[in-house]
Amino acid sequence: MSDLVRMQGIDKRFPGVHALRAVDFDLRAGEVHALMGENGAGKSTLMKCLSGVYQPDGGRILIDGAAVALPNPRAAQDLGIGIIHQELALMRDLNVAQNIWIGREPRLSLGRIDEARLNADAAAIFRGMNVAMDPRAPVAALTIARQQMVEIAKALSFRSRVLIMDEPTAALNDSEIAELFTIIRRLRAEGVGIIYISHKMDEIRRIADRVTVMRDGATVGTVQAAETPIAQIIAMMVGRELVDEPVAIPDLSAAECALELRGITRGREVRDVSFSLKRGEILGFAGLMGAGRTELARAIFGAEPPESGEIIVHGRPVTIRSPADAVRAGIGYLSEDRKHYGLALGMDVRANIALASLARYTDRLGRIDEQELAAVSNRYIDMLSIRTPHDRQEVRLLSGGNQQKVVIAKWLLRDCDILIFDEPTRGIDVGAKAEIHRLLADLAGQGKAIIVISSELPELLRLSHRIAVMCEGRLTGILPGGASQERIMALATRREGMAAE
Amino acid sequence: MTGTQATIPAQQRRSGAARQMLLAFASLIALVIGFSLASPNFFQVSNIMAILQATSVNGVLAVGVTLIIITGGIDLSIGTLMTFCAVMTGVVLTWAGMPLILGVLTAIGTGAACGLVSGMFVARMKIPPFIATLGMMLMLKGLSLIVTGTKPIYFNDTPGFTQIAQGSVVGALIPGLPLPNGVLILFLVAAVTAWILGRTVLGRYTFALGSNEEAVRLSGVNTDAWKMAIYALAGGIVGIGGLLISSRLNSAQPALGLGYELEAIAAVVIGGTSLAGGRGTILGTLIGALIMSVLTNGLRVLSVAPEWQTVVTGAIIIVAVYADQLRRRKASQG
Amino acid sequence: MFTRRNLLGAVAALSLAGMATSASAQDAMYIPLISKGFQHQFWQAVKAGADKAGEELGVNVSFEGPDNETQVDKQLDMLAAALANKPAAIGFAALDSQAAIPQLRQAQEAGIPVIAFDSGVDSDIPVALAATDNIAAAAMAADKLAELIGGAGKVAVVAHDQTSRTGVDRRDGFVNRMKEAHPDVEIVAIEYGGGDHLKSTEITKALLTANPDLKGIFGTNEGSAIGVVNGVTEAGASDVVIVGYDSGKAQTDAIRDGRMAGAITQNPVGIGYETVKAAVAAARGEQVQASIDTGFYWYDKSNIDAPEIAAVLYD
Repeated sequence: MSDLVRMQGIDKRFPGVHALRAVDFDLRAGEVHALMGENGAGKSTLMKCLSGVYQPDGGRILIDGAAVALPNPRAAQDLGIGIIHQELALMRDLNVAQNIWIGREPRLSLGRIDEARLNADAAAIFRGMNVAMDPRAPVAALTIARQQMVEIAKALSFRSRVLIMDEPTAALNDSEIAELFTIIRRLRAEGVGIIYISHKMDEIRRIADRVTVMRDGATVGTVQAAETPIAQIIAMMVGRELVDEPVAIPDLSAAECALELRGITRGREVRDVSFSLKRGEILGFAGLMGAGRTELARAIFGAEPPESGEIIVHGRPVTIRSPADAVRAGIGYLSEDRKHYGLALGMDVRANIALASLARYTDRLGRIDEQELAAVSNRYIDMLSIRTPHDRQEVRLLSGGNQQKVVIAKWLLRDCDILIFDEPTRGIDVGAKAEIHRLLADLAGQGKAIIVISSELPELLRLSHRIAVMCEGRLTGILPGGASQERIMALATRREGMAAE
Repeated sequence: MTGTQATIPAQQRRSGAARQMLLAFASLIALVIGFSLASPNFFQVSNIMAILQATSVNGVLAVGVTLIIITGGIDLSIGTLMTFCAVMTGVVLTWAGMPLILGVLTAIGTGAACGLVSGMFVARMKIPPFIATLGMMLMLKGLSLIVTGTKPIYFNDTPGFTQIAQGSVVGALIPGLPLPNGVLILFLVAAVTAWILGRTVLGRYTFALGSNEEAVRLSGVNTDAWKMAIYALAGGIVGIGGLLISSRLNSAQPALGLGYELEAIAAVVIGGTSLAGGRGTILGTLIGALIMSVLTNGLRVLSVAPEWQTVVTGAIIIVAVYADQLRRRKASQG
Repeated sequence: MFTRRNLLGAVAALSLAGMATSASAQDAMYIPLISKGFQHQFWQAVKAGADKAGEELGVNVSFEGPDNETQVDKQLDMLAAALANKPAAIGFAALDSQAAIPQLRQAQEAGIPVIAFDSGVDSDIPVALAATDNIAAAAMAADKLAELIGGAGKVAVVAHDQTSRTGVDRRDGFVNRMKEAHPDVEIVAIEYGGGDHLKSTEITKALLTANPDLKGIFGTNEGSAIGVVNGVTEAGASDVVIVGYDSGKAQTDAIRDGRMAGAITQNPVGIGYETVKAAVAAARGEQVQASIDTGFYWYDKSNIDAPEIAAVLYD
């Protein structure tokens, strides 16, 4: 097999960061080449160089053996390099077909757009993908998983010979992932070279032919996916061996009940949910996408307050109409979308940690006691091992795992003893994941009551003392920790009768 | 059940947008009926024509700035640009004595050129639209005063110039309906712009830029060039506004123009276009502009004190945007 | 839900409309005055005069003007709305002497007599003009300023407007009189501040910076004159002689405490009063005098409290 893409000695610097150090990478036609590494290892930067978004400062890129220049995304597209970005790059106010063909609209005279052809072509791509999708549906109305399908369709529409997928399954459920893999395998058979970035080890084993691991902006090595043990790949990524321990379920029979829900209901998304949570307990929430887990969390937190039902905190009923009420009751919520809801990205670590507790560090004139804050934030940086050069570093410059830790620090400082984690490790690399897991266990050990929502069953199984399962807004059951995946899936798909429509 | 889930919100969204349009239109009708009941002098052909005439300039400016607002930008220079276009028309027609058609082309050309400059500030030089067009606003105001020597230029030597806004082609065909040409031009401009937005590549990129500019850029579209084109188109439309106001006043008034941008932006906002970009309609803007002039005219016909007219107009803007917020909150929950 | 909200809005609008109509019951003769503005004290004094005449003559008077004196088209819209109400006669102070002619023609066709006030239009449609002779008044300001600076030296004009009749007349009346009667006085600058206090202040300070030996400044209306006083005070040039125009609290105070030497006052109350009086007469088909000179006076510290002056000053 010949080299479709060869990147040689790619170097890229940003102000203050040497992002890529003489990276070599190659892709053959008709293979799936996984690119792995912790966040910040340089995978995305490397791919942005290949797709014309960034210009490398050194090295060269060869396509079919010929050196090429990729001054802009268009040039890369013209060479048949398509990319599906990790942060979905869609225009929410446009519809599906309009998104796919943006920049390449079939035109009639006078600059008019041939909408009929636009829609027909888009429909054809979805037919080829075996996905049911209305090309006229506005993207903003689609779930993240469906939006991902649009991204893939868009990349396919370029008739790409090289397809870069940056964490394409982050928001997909199992059947959707299976669908995606079918598509990937078909493309591979047609001779397309696919660069596949993911943190999910099981996926790599299922789909990848070769694996290249990057660390700190350099290539660590390239191995055959089928022959290399996962532990070795992880070791390459983090530079050390990780141990995966099964969950130890503590005896909580004497523990005080921290949070109790009775008949919480909100619209169709959350229906008559009741459960209780003890101090020191980690309660996992499993379910398919759209089961209402996030909605339940947001209802508890008052972001979209419940329409009916009772919330009891430490034995006292509380009224939660807004997040401020929830915080006052000691409930903290770590959103699945950190960048939108959890962090002020442009502000520094110290300001973010203090964001919810500013009143405590403010004198009567409204002046902020920065010295005290510095001490406090440095304490949390040490305690949670947040990797940041100093507490004045802007949060957007931290890796995903460290951003997550900043959010945790924020709620700990606010004295929240009931913490709701919604997808705490989404977009976080393996090494940092294990660290977050350990952190959650430690927090529980200190007597915090913790709810974890995760779409990754292995993660829930590793963490949870009990596992609550939701389906279509209802709580279909609570299983003991370590329950089998089969039992969880059975509850997650237990629908309420068949007469839904 | 799962299969239809994705399409249900889509339909809700569409009907939501249609409902918003209906809502604005219903408010307009309610205002007209209210004023008609309150004063017998309101619903008269001559007064309705006066209202439409009063809408023509603000309406055209609002249509122009709608484009910019949909891209997620803002244009504060449209008021003084309108004046500058009028002044340049005066220079060509009155001072140079050129034929009328050249004056018309000058107005549109000047607008488009200035729009292109604004677009360049925004797209190429990455100056935030608010600042770039604030700068343009002041530069153009100054230039208008410099060119004219601060005196108005009258169009007495160009017969037919006043007909652009004041004459009535419709009235000549249908004697009972003396619809001023200015209004006809407003409707034409609105129709063509709506067509561009809905049917052409330029329109598509207008929405796309306001929706997610980075995504458009990553799709290989030359976003800078298209953005400049959109600003230029908006400028050209403002040039037509300049023609209308100077034809109406039979003069280019160099000191005029400041404050007109805010009225136009208010009309756009009342019409349901989001200042966040990505969403908006020309029909909505047209209705917004009509609501504003029906309101001012109606309150005047009722002899409400001018101080109170200002208060009511401000309140209407708040109410309109709040209604839109409510609708959107409802839609996002549904 | 939304329809209900919408109805509420409509009801609110209607009730507002209802209030307004009951206030202007249409049995008496209705005379709208479209002025150049309504926020300045001068226009409020005109309005007071108009209201007084309305009360005496038993007619309904309304008074309206645009936010600032550049908004020519806004004034036309006001004129159109006033015409829609089928008034008996109309009073009009034109911002631009030509732009309103189509509307005025419409009034003429409808048989509605037009009385111009404050400044005229380039048309024979208005049956009368009730105004100050601004040229003569500004000439008097020139004479007084020349006398106060000893007949020689540099002076400047801060005018309110370069397009309206009053702006042009006051500027030209002042400049021409100075050239003819006081050859040793040099007018070094004529600047326009739009009648805006702040702008006129800045202009004045710039003038004083450019011409440190400036002896006197003429501010051509209330806003300009106050701006000049502020500018001179801020620049600390207390020896500059200031002559103003019109009155208003700030200006009369400045004259009382000596910051301003004196000012020309028109008779704004008289302008409003005479306009309504002429309008009523014209509406009744009576003969109206074509040019109604509403008069002007020079006032300074010495005569500011004299009854004939105090009567035409406004706060």
